[in-house]
Amino acid sequence: MTGSTWQVTFKVYRQRTGEKPSHQSYSLDVDPDEYILDAVERIWAFHDRTLTYRHACHHSTCGACGMRVNGREKLTCITTIRSVTRNGGTVRIDPLRNFPVISDLVVDMGNFFLRMEKSGFDSVVPLDKANLPYESTITRVSEHKHEAERLADCIECGLCISACPAANTDHEYIGPAVLASIHLMYTQSPSQALIDQADHHTGLWRCHSAYECTQVCPSGVDPAWRIMDMRKKIIGNRIKSIFTRPNEDKKNA
Amino acid sequence: MINSKPTAIIIGAGFTGCALAYDLAQRGFDVTVVERGELASGTSGRTHGLLHSGARYCVTDPEAAVECIQENIILRRIAKQCIEFNGGYFVALDDADLAYAPAFFSQAQVCGIPVEEIGVKHALEAEPALSRQILAAYEVPDGAFDPLRLAMAFAASATQLGARFHTFHDVTGFLQDGKGKINGVRVTDRHADHSWEFNADITINATGAWAGVVAEIAGLSVPVQPTPGVMVAYEKRVTDRVINRLCEPDDGDILLPQRRMAVIGTTSFEVQDADYIPVTPDQVQQMHERAALLVPELKNVKMRGAYMSARPLIGGMMSGRSLSRTFKCYDHLANDSVDGLVTVTGGKATTCRVMAEKTADLVCQKLGWHRTCETAELPLVDYHLYYQTREVLA
Amino acid sequence: MPNQPEAKNWPRWFDPRSRSLGTFGFILNRITALALTLYLILHLIALGQLAQGPAAYDGFIALVKNPLFKLGELLVIAAGVIHGLNGIRIALNSFGIGVRRQRSMFVILMALAVLCIAFFGWKMFMEG
Repeated sequence: MTGSTWQVTFKVYRQRTGEKPSHQSYSLDVDPDEYILDAVERIWAFHDRTLTYRHACHHSTCGACGMRVNGREKLTCITTIRSVTRNGGTVRIDPLRNFPVISDLVVDMGNFFLRMEKSGFDSVVPLDKANLPYESTITRVSEHKHEAERLADCIECGLCISACPAANTDHEYIGPAVLASIHLMYTQSPSQALIDQADHHTGLWRCHSAYECTQVCPSGVDPAWRIMDMRKKIIGNRIKSIFTRPNEDKKNA
Repeated sequence: MINSKPTAIIIGAGFTGCALAYDLAQRGFDVTVVERGELASGTSGRTHGLLHSGARYCVTDPEAAVECIQENIILRRIAKQCIEFNGGYFVALDDADLAYAPAFFSQAQVCGIPVEEIGVKHALEAEPALSRQILAAYEVPDGAFDPLRLAMAFAASATQLGARFHTFHDVTGFLQDGKGKINGVRVTDRHADHSWEFNADITINATGAWAGVVAEIAGLSVPVQPTPGVMVAYEKRVTDRVINRLCEPDDGDILLPQRRMAVIGTTSFEVQDADYIPVTPDQVQQMHERAALLVPELKNVKMRGAYMSARPLIGGMMSGRSLSRTFKCYDHLANDSVDGLVTVTGGKATTCRVMAEKTADLVCQKLGWHRTCETAELPLVDYHLYYQTREVLA
Repeated sequence: MPNQPEAKNWPRWFDPRSRSLGTFGFILNRITALALTLYLILHLIALGQLAQGPAAYDGFIALVKNPLFKLGELLVIAAGVIHGLNGIRIALNSFGIGVRRQRSMFVILMALAVLCIAFFGWKMFMEG
């Protein structure tokens, strides 16, 4: 927080349920090191109490405040105003893509959360499985009475789904977050059920390598890598099963 | 006396409102929750996220400490899905801290909090990012949780029992019969600018820091003092355990690991209006300094976010840190001769379940509906299932 | 409800605003795929014409010497080279190889594509 002041115009998507959308402009004096969410909250508090938006934790653990800022998916509680505009500039704020808009900046996350549940997403994971396999993990917690753990990276913010072109056109595609969740759960406890969910035309094979998911993820999930790693595992399994005879299958089972 | 299924309206879907919806639904109530924003979008969402062992309060507020450790154990059992439990350290950095240690150690035990003195060498091995200046370390069962998911887990458990949540519904008035009884609320569906009325046998004001504001709509007064504090999140998870300063509750003495972050908090000051509290640069700077005392490498770690959260402290003659952190239920029939309304406020995130239990006990007593609380036993439903039976009012 | 995923949103695939390099690869692969498919159809039609005898053949060769036609063929080569090289990147990625380096792979392969196209362009227009 520097305490300096910029004049910024915010063009915010407005829509009452079922009615025609429009953009409304609000001119604010802001500290450029404040966050976009702070500006949205200020618009609600002092300019327009009818503005609806989702938020909870204000520090990137809950995933509620995802929006599009100047067309790009952002987690608004950790996106500074300085990073998206300049003094005297305009910032356009829209709801996430590919989720039904209920009103203004509020989208319906129901279908997405239920898909995450179906993938068995457990928000708390053992510490040594929480990071991506290509990252190092220093397990500091030693001699514990129980296994060390942490909250998983995915905060279910939906930015990846909003940015994905495949998710834009196929409502059955389960989406990057869900596939990343399947991968995460698979690394902890491999199961055929997880493979069946992923190895499906609504799963891994709907991805066509735009890689926007990893670009916009604010939490280090790297869904694109997880999707490709899951493909590698599944293709690997398939190839291995060609060379394994039925007897050997029984031996290995 | 109520003979058939009683109906309840809960205003506010923070921890208290969601836990209360679950408790009342379990006791057979027909529950409707109205909340002007998203779940946990008030104080609850922005809580530091510390699952208190209670050790922080064992000397200055033993009542709160005992409540904390009891609920800590219960939440670890019923809400595993959103808690990272790796324990916590209380560390002494100077002689004043060391002088506090004996009272801390004995009081913690008196309050029933498992506490163990850890050698400095061992502490530094277990948490290498800790300041080399530490003089003593004690281990306690602290943890960290995800605020939205905790509220959502209670809410999901409530909806699976038939409770209905109407988020983005703002209470604009109370339905009063003119004879001193409140029969429900008038709300605006903020999505569609549509007004509705909900009737109920009992209405519970669970709006925390806004309890006074909401009570005023009914012409009643509840002494709540919104008391915000600042929180700063950093880009690196520097410790796996919660790190507390071994001293009487002070500013910036808790450093919490959460996902890939470390979050330092907090300060304490009073405001009139909890709707928008700007983050002040000097408080952020203060947090940077306090954080660096505990974990020096944070001096070089980029700040990820900074935000303010307004505690609902029960108003009175004392201020800020000396106010009890426990909660209070107000039956407005006793206080103001207005029936049909109960207010619950105060409290901490860690004690939300027992706040709900005591409020539900009061409500059941008022209505002559004899059911006991069972929320401490069964694990909460998967938080995702909050969306399973949701209706979106058009 | 508005803003839902729908098949009719497909034109948005080609909107590069606020997108990164991965999407440019995605867009290029689709455009080149369509171009190559169109070329294949035209090619088959042209071959069909040629099966009608020497007069048709001579007429066709005259057409092909037109510089505009050569430019068209260069575009086909460009489409093939871009689609092929990007395709190799995508195929490798799908086996889990190089996913974290997909951006630099794209830049390097497209630079290679530009070189190839320049080479073929020079051969076609300079050597007749």
